Amino acid sequence: MASAASGYTLVICEKPDAARRVAEALSGRGTQNSTVDGATVFKFTCRGEDFVVCSAQGHVYAISDPFEERTVYPVFDVEWYPSNFVEEKNANAARRISAIRKLAEGAAKFVNACDFDTEGETIGFNVLRYACGGKEREALRAKFSTLTKDDVMVAFMEAKPQVGQGLARAGRARHLIDFVWGVNLSRVLSQSALDSGHKYRTISMGRVQGPTLAFLEERETKIREFVPTPFWKVSGTFERSGTRFTAGYSKERVESRATAEMVRDDCRDKEGIATSVVRSAVQVPPPPPFSTGDLQKEAYRIFGFPPSRTLQIAERLYLSALVSYPRTGSQRLPPSINYRAILQGLERLSRYSKVAKDLLGGALNPVQGVKADSAHPAVHPTGEVPRRRLNPPEAAVFDLITRRFLAAFEPPAKRELVTVRLSVGGHGFVLSGGRTLYRGWISSYDRYANTRDTSVPSMAEGDRFRVVRVDIEEKFERGPARYNQSSLLEKMERENIGTKATRADIISALVERGYVEGGNMMVTDLGLAVVETMEKYAPAIVTTKLTREIEERLEEVEGEARGDAELVRETVRSITEQLVGLNANEELVGREIDAALAVTVAASHVLGPCPACKSGQLRMIRSRKTGKRFVGCSNYSSGCRASAPLPQRGTIRTTPNVCPHCSWPVVRVMDRGTPWRLCINLACPVKLEGKKT
Amino acid sequence: MKCVLCGRKAVSDLCTYHERAKRKVEAGYRVWNKAYGEIEWKDYLDKVKRNEQTGQWAKEIAEMLEGI
Repeated sequence: MASAASGYTLVICEKPDAARRVAEALSGRGTQNSTVDGATVFKFTCRGEDFVVCSAQGHVYAISDPFEERTVYPVFDVEWYPSNFVEEKNANAARRISAIRKLAEGAAKFVNACDFDTEGETIGFNVLRYACGGKEREALRAKFSTLTKDDVMVAFMEAKPQVGQGLARAGRARHLIDFVWGVNLSRVLSQSALDSGHKYRTISMGRVQGPTLAFLEERETKIREFVPTPFWKVSGTFERSGTRFTAGYSKERVESRATAEMVRDDCRDKEGIATSVVRSAVQVPPPPPFSTGDLQKEAYRIFGFPPSRTLQIAERLYLSALVSYPRTGSQRLPPSINYRAILQGLERLSRYSKVAKDLLGGALNPVQGVKADSAHPAVHPTGEVPRRRLNPPEAAVFDLITRRFLAAFEPPAKRELVTVRLSVGGHGFVLSGGRTLYRGWISSYDRYANTRDTSVPSMAEGDRFRVVRVDIEEKFERGPARYNQSSLLEKMERENIGTKATRADIISALVERGYVEGGNMMVTDLGLAVVETMEKYAPAIVTTKLTREIEERLEEVEGEARGDAELVRETVRSITEQLVGLNANEELVGREIDAALAVTVAASHVLGPCPACKSGQLRMIRSRKTGKRFVGCSNYSSGCRASAPLPQRGTIRTTPNVCPHCSWPVVRVMDRGTPWRLCINLACPVKLEGKKT
Repeated sequence: MKCVLCGRKAVSDLCTYHERAKRKVEAGYRVWNKAYGEIEWKDYLDKVKRNEQTGQWAKEIAEMLEGI
């Protein structure tokens, strides 16, 4: 931290909480707080150097086009604008920019202390370029993975100018590509639907959104057209020395009833023999430290938190200096994070104190995962004691991160697996189980570990037993499972589309746009139609190939192996090719999407004309208060009180039919089992008659 | 032309989704016949329709075929 000739050092952070933390770390809490255009600014002196720490509030600059008319396309003439020009509601951005501009005037030196990743780098670059008068090249870069005092101090001591600025260039190129992609495709789709007579509705299609929706659509069609195949499960109950035990038939699925019955008959009243007993001890290493995706998946499995929520919670924990930066692809814990200091910190927390103390007594060699990230280590606790009471979700995520960290230093668990093969009447049966011999890391990660003991009766090769009975059970093949938010995130990771920072938001956007129903990730008719239309007229938009190629090239820009301008040019060319296909078929595209919108709306809301007031429409409504669905009339505000309860489970679809007895609409209810038709009128004469009898 | 089951655009009576589901239901009959030894077409459709694993479009097709 060399002293500046005159003026102060202006530090730009990404968020106000981070600015406060950085100021506290550098000043030892002796800051003088003031407000500039509504933004809190921290002033202090550190080692004879005057500092002013301020913050953006996320992206204060955004890409946009110069057209006021939202229906214009194609759009390629785009530029960075203050976010308040792009989003009218974002008045805060104007105040932030104004404050930073004023502060920049008195600054002699600039430090970019935004989060060290693509987004943070982009935010810092834009603020330094546009609000500080082109200081992005000369500004120093402070890089840290936690907001603890020590990490921040070291980051400022080692701060230096960014040479190639690959991360910022990649970030800016990503924003530009995504804007051009999204704005053009969304406008062509929305405009096509509008021209087809439907009222305006945004039909968006982002670069990662398209292939992600296509994954869901592919699975959805498989689920909806699925016809289960029957099979039979055979199991035997046997007895040896007064002990009964159950073993499964060697073939898990018997494909015909006749074969299953033959096995049962062949085994009847027979004596069986154990043909082999195999015991094996296996070592189960600790799970690798958390990358962002691993943390999101685990929090979904254990707590049911959607990935976006987990990331928000982890972000809050990071801003409280309790965990490291949560947007990371790394599964590795480098020694530079100082294992010993973190464990010493955790020792002060009663629930981790014993494990931390035990670990501190030995060598510290954590298990490392395969994935690495040069910017940040795996998500880990900092060892800081919470200064505030954590709310239950924060406490849950903090505990999960901490236990995973502790588990990484523990020895592998040891489990014994036993497989006993049995022969009865010429047929094979198998008995298997397992138990934990040595808990190792499981003791730290106990409540979250997925291990279960299954006992197997003691048996040796050649032991004989009696057949009590053999059961056959008719089963049906299960349909493909729907993606949940966690498995979809995993699929996106595997396909290398999106980034660790954006995947969760893309999933949320699919729900917000009405392409997917949030709870069970069921694709709506609109979602199906959008994919179907794209596959027909602009197939590259919904395949992973193009999106993945762009991701790979963006990584090359990050690593400074490729220029951003070249990538943007190539991408614009690809988008143009797809736009041509859509534009040439605008009328057909519009009709198809319009039809899907009509089906979606009809299927989800309007049940039919109201038989009470004759002029309103009966609609399916979800109560804001209770969350339950019911039927109400669109003329409610004019006094029509026609209403009816609805089943709360299953999918409800409209039918063109009305009840012949009361003229109320009949709906079709699809739940597990047989679909059924229901007259929604509680006062239907047939129902009242049924009650009397 | 519209699909008689869902109102989507269709070339014949059914949209592409229901057409594909129909082929699956028809193909499933051969598998079920082999699995059970013998099963009546109507019984098969009834079982498919009632099975909780059957997909929505396949159920709609089974229901439609039952009525033919």
